[in-house]
Amino acid sequence: MSSIPMIEQTAGKGAARAAQRGLGSRRRGAPGGTMRRPGFLTYGFLAAVILGSVFPLWWSFLVGSHDSSVISKGVPLVPGGNFLANAASVLDTIPFWKALGNSILVSTVTAVSVVLFSTLAGFAFAKLRFRGSKGLLVFVIATMAVPTQLGVVPLFIVMAKLGWTGSLWAVIVPGVVTAFGVFWMTQYLRDALPDELIEAVRIDGASMIQAFWYVGLPAARPAAAMLALFTFVATWTNFFWPFIVLDPSNPTLPVALQLLQAAHFVDYSIVLAGAVLSTIPLLLLFAVAGRQLVSGIMQGAVKG
Amino acid sequence: MHSRARITALSAAAACLALALTACGSGGSDNAGVEGETGTEDVTLSVGTFNEFGYEELFTEYEELNPNVTIEHKKAATSNEARDNLTTRLAAGSGLSDIEGIEMDWLPELLEYSDQFADLKDPAVEGRWLDWKEAAATTEDGQLIGYGTDAGPEAVCYRADLFEKAGLPSDRESVAKMLEGDWQNYFDAGKKFVAASDGTAWFDSAGATYQGMINQVENAYEDKDGTVIATDNADVKDIYEQVLQASVDDGLSAHLTQWEDDWTASFQSDAFATKLCPGWMLGIIEGNAKGIDGWDIADVFPGGGGNWGGSYLTIPTQGAHQAEAKKLAEWLTAPEQQIKAFESKGTFPSQVEGLESDTLLGQTNAFFNDAPTGEILANRANAIEVRPFKGPKYFPINDAMQQALTRVDVDKTDDPASSWEKFVTAVGAL
Amino acid sequence: MAVTDRVQTPPPNTNQPASRDKSVKRLAFSQKVSKWDVKLSPYLYISPFFVLFAITGLFPLLYTAWVSLHTWNLIGGQGKFTGLENYEFVLAQPFFWNAVGNTFSIFLLSSVPQVVLAIAIAAVLDANLRAKTFWRMGVLVPFVVAPVAVGLIFNNLFADQAGLFNEVLTGMGLDPVRWHSDSLASHTAIATMVNFRWTGYNALIFLAAMQAIPRDVYEAATIDGAGRLRQFVSVTVPMLRPTIIFVVITATIGGLQIFDEARVFDQAGLGGADRQWQTLTMYIWELGWGQRNFGRASAVAWLLFLIIVLIAMANFLITRRIASQGGRR
Repeated sequence: MSSIPMIEQTAGKGAARAAQRGLGSRRRGAPGGTMRRPGFLTYGFLAAVILGSVFPLWWSFLVGSHDSSVISKGVPLVPGGNFLANAASVLDTIPFWKALGNSILVSTVTAVSVVLFSTLAGFAFAKLRFRGSKGLLVFVIATMAVPTQLGVVPLFIVMAKLGWTGSLWAVIVPGVVTAFGVFWMTQYLRDALPDELIEAVRIDGASMIQAFWYVGLPAARPAAAMLALFTFVATWTNFFWPFIVLDPSNPTLPVALQLLQAAHFVDYSIVLAGAVLSTIPLLLLFAVAGRQLVSGIMQGAVKG
Repeated sequence: MHSRARITALSAAAACLALALTACGSGGSDNAGVEGETGTEDVTLSVGTFNEFGYEELFTEYEELNPNVTIEHKKAATSNEARDNLTTRLAAGSGLSDIEGIEMDWLPELLEYSDQFADLKDPAVEGRWLDWKEAAATTEDGQLIGYGTDAGPEAVCYRADLFEKAGLPSDRESVAKMLEGDWQNYFDAGKKFVAASDGTAWFDSAGATYQGMINQVENAYEDKDGTVIATDNADVKDIYEQVLQASVDDGLSAHLTQWEDDWTASFQSDAFATKLCPGWMLGIIEGNAKGIDGWDIADVFPGGGGNWGGSYLTIPTQGAHQAEAKKLAEWLTAPEQQIKAFESKGTFPSQVEGLESDTLLGQTNAFFNDAPTGEILANRANAIEVRPFKGPKYFPINDAMQQALTRVDVDKTDDPASSWEKFVTAVGAL
Repeated sequence: MAVTDRVQTPPPNTNQPASRDKSVKRLAFSQKVSKWDVKLSPYLYISPFFVLFAITGLFPLLYTAWVSLHTWNLIGGQGKFTGLENYEFVLAQPFFWNAVGNTFSIFLLSSVPQVVLAIAIAAVLDANLRAKTFWRMGVLVPFVVAPVAVGLIFNNLFADQAGLFNEVLTGMGLDPVRWHSDSLASHTAIATMVNFRWTGYNALIFLAAMQAIPRDVYEAATIDGAGRLRQFVSVTVPMLRPTIIFVVITATIGGLQIFDEARVFDQAGLGGADRQWQTLTMYIWELGWGQRNFGRASAVAWLLFLIIVLIAMANFLITRRIASQGGRR
């Protein structure tokens, strides 16, 4: 069942190149389950799904592009001309640029570290034999079952003891490696990385970390790309904990946006203009990373 | 699934456990009041507020007057968020601002932990506030835990155009005269209105109306010693039955829940003709009813005066600069400053002198048919006589009561009797 | 990074026959290093998670357990030790069992359609589409919309009188649905919010796994005369086993902890006037933050933790069985 190419080089880059070549040759064929182009039914189904998915964003933009006097009579179906004015009052009311910078920093650091540490742990759980691995993995998964709401007070106590309340560390550190990420990488690598490949580079003298670096990481790339994207977005939109631990003067975007509702009468055209503004960076990320991510998924077709 | 973005729960090494546990119970027991010099050292004071306190310009002014002070404003969006935040930080024993804004309804519970707050009693502020405002923030043994900022004296807002159509008097003096009296009188006027109108209800919500009534009862849910009497108190049951009789049997309610989307939308559809309105409600009505003409406000409140909402500034004993913080809080809540805040954000003063200010008394509101809202609300504030006692369990009991009313008035899943039984069960489980 | 520093030293080649003493010694040494490398590396690789967990996960767990054995006011702090009294109290509460029922109902209404739909979308996305990136990123859009916007929008859609859904229903001459008073209706509405946010996300997870299935397996199946549906059932699904297990378990854990969507479903955030949609995490919140009874709240939190572990384990066993029925290659 496996057609792992013999790896002739010794360790290191050679093995990696061989492994990569292995990946490359595997994906010459059709990327889909079949070469056939799908029919209009498929596209119709997808179009319906996309419409439903995009609707709330579009609706937010509609509301954000009018002023509150129009909205109180019902949301119109065409955008108004007020978006820039609303956006300007968002920028006036909240420290938007500071929050944007904080969000970029927190999300990037979290995404990078989650991917690195989760892949490392996933590689160990999926491919290395060691005493207690099964039990430890179950333990990792069980940690996801701890209800979050109650953890707030003890975690806050910890952060206060460390002197981190109000600082971005308090948001970054609890997220640098997640049980979710470890579990995901374990499940993915279990099948996506053939044991023979690791054995081959080991026989050729690679150390464990080299095996991870040159064989594990490349095989994990598609899943890692998705984990990075998911983590980035989830960190970006996370509200509850940052709201509790950060100061409104040094916020992430969702915490700052909440301030738009700090009034007895809330002007939703401005709130949703803010929501749209905070989503634009993510959409840009999609545009840039999307292609990369999709081709990453395709390239990942390693399978013995 | 939302928890994938989870705050990967919490904690520090187990060593932290012992430390942390002690951090949780005790607070400073320094009740001796705030001493210390001010104006000498450079300090940064953090001030936590929510919604609109109207302080932005005042902070700049204070910093100019006191060059050694830098103010850091920490603002939460809503009072619910501010309350969760305050609770978490009190529970964790750290992280509070030097000055924390609190809402009046939180006081009964915070008074239980008065050792967490500095005693602000000071001859300089004696007699500054309306009696009931100051008394609400004072413990049994005389500690003052907060300086009053704004108040929420209640009047009746109404739709003059709909009144007229139904053949009721519609100018604000005649309306005040018509509604002067007890709640039954208010409901009777409602029956007349509903009979003559096509489909418009008298008031928006049973829960909101109940709130206006229960705030006039001195000991509604708890005795002074903290015994829960809510379910045995004849006054509570009377008000409950009276409101539901009016809402459901007499059809006076628009069957809405305050703050829900249906409620917000109803301002555009002539769903009801009157609404109990504390001063801060005016802006909300104006915002929701944009484009609707006919709103006015009458200088009257059924059953005497009533207050809903209003805030205080407290100084947690966690803070390192309590003397400077007290000086700032004292300055911010002085009548002159409160009037400036009122001008900027409409926060209605709770200070005696503030109520006599010409700026305040001269204020009119274009949306409410140019009514002299400043004068009307000042009269309403002076009409408040009863100081309702709210004990530490006020919040959960009142929540259970609001749910009981909603079940009958809005959801229509229960009749008044069975909903009352559920209320009794819920209070029993506290 | 300490990890890389440590392993930079090993000789690149251990296969060559040793011809000199020096080499023999080096070989012995390197074998030793290699042995330790094999033994220790796995623990080293998983250690970041466990170190962090010790700091941010274990402490709350133990803290909560400790709190649950005491009377404990959220603000006032620790009271007297009461043993299992808090557990006995909440287990006797109808509100607790009501919350258990609601949690499971919303969980089933959200996770089952979500997983099924996600697999279906993934299968479609796995086809040889034009403009792949567009479609794939498109299904993920709900995940990026700011939660505040999602809350506002769905409250707007599901409002009992003024909401779009009910306006459409009454427009067609049907009875409006009582989203906020009928239990099942409220669960459906909340599950819709959950499904909206997570279906595309899970679809991409499935897609990534489908991409990893070698194409020759399908070719073989085609040669054997299997139709597309048949291929899907007997090739794709069994090959997705680890991913299905992953999605089902994370969906279970997340679903049983459902909080945000249910909490924002009305302004009071208590789960409805008759607790129609009060979930267990909301009950925890009510006990802890509403009533300040941190002890009882902690007891419920621990009960929820145990329930989740049990259900997740049951799910794991069932999913493994179902997913392997197609036969593993």
